[in-house]
Amino acid sequence: MTIIDWFFVIAAAITLFGAYRVVISEKIMHAALWLALTFAGVAAIYFLLGADFLAAAQLLVYVGAITTIIIFGIMLSSIEDLRGKAGNTFWQRVSAQFSSPRHGVLALVAAGGLTLTLIVLLARSVWPTAPAESAVPTDTPRLIGEALFKTYVIPFEIASVVLLVALIGAIVLATKDEPPTSNGEEQP
Amino acid sequence: MTISLPVILAVSAAMFGFGVYGALTLRNAIRILMCVELVLNSVNINLVAFSRYLSSDPAQGQVFTIFVMTVAAAEAAVGLAIILMIARQRSHIDIERINLLKW
Repeated sequence: MTIIDWFFVIAAAITLFGAYRVVISEKIMHAALWLALTFAGVAAIYFLLGADFLAAAQLLVYVGAITTIIIFGIMLSSIEDLRGKAGNTFWQRVSAQFSSPRHGVLALVAAGGLTLTLIVLLARSVWPTAPAESAVPTDTPRLIGEALFKTYVIPFEIASVVLLVALIGAIVLATKDEPPTSNGEEQP
Repeated sequence: MTISLPVILAVSAAMFGFGVYGALTLRNAIRILMCVELVLNSVNINLVAFSRYLSSDPAQGQVFTIFVMTVAAAEAAVGLAIILMIARQRSHIDIERINLLKW
């Protein structure tokens, strides 16, 4: 194994352990911080795959922005869940989940079965040999920029409209609609 | 560089499984949103890996990944705004107790 492979193993281990902790953490704030670590591991995987622009964008957008907005959402909304349930350890929660078929077993069968099926299929299938092994892209920002503004210019513009609509929608939804405070001005 | 494609896809599949399990079992709406972000990230890993190993145009999968990131950012913003509004009205965000549209 080369040193790149060892870096990949470390990045994949960080990513998977972070994802595991996101799902099983008792406290929701810990889950949010593990989610940030998972995003950073995904950025490392992008970097090892030669997508350096995407690694930078992942760090900026996910680790920087989405984790922050999720933490803001946690602090503004879930006061009663913030500290977790006292005296309720992970194994008690797991056993409580497995006792009810609706919550634990079916979800575990669905997710675990899907993952195992995917991995078995991946191991059994024959992949075509990489045609671009010699042509690893070196200047991905230029390539991505050209593709965005030449081939994918209409989806690019639609994505900007989607972002604008989401911005307006988030502001409209999250704004408090306060009742008019001054009664004297409303009535003639 | 000898990282093979099935290994990356297996990592992505495991991450997808964690996200699906969390989205199916957790009850806090914000944690479900976090698990959806995990699923979207695993899909992004798949796209980047395919564009690195199988595509003749190396920028194609990365452009798709950028679009997925855009939609994920919009989804997080709107979803958290909806959750904030529910939390303001009901003072909890337990999805088992938000049953306005259930019968």
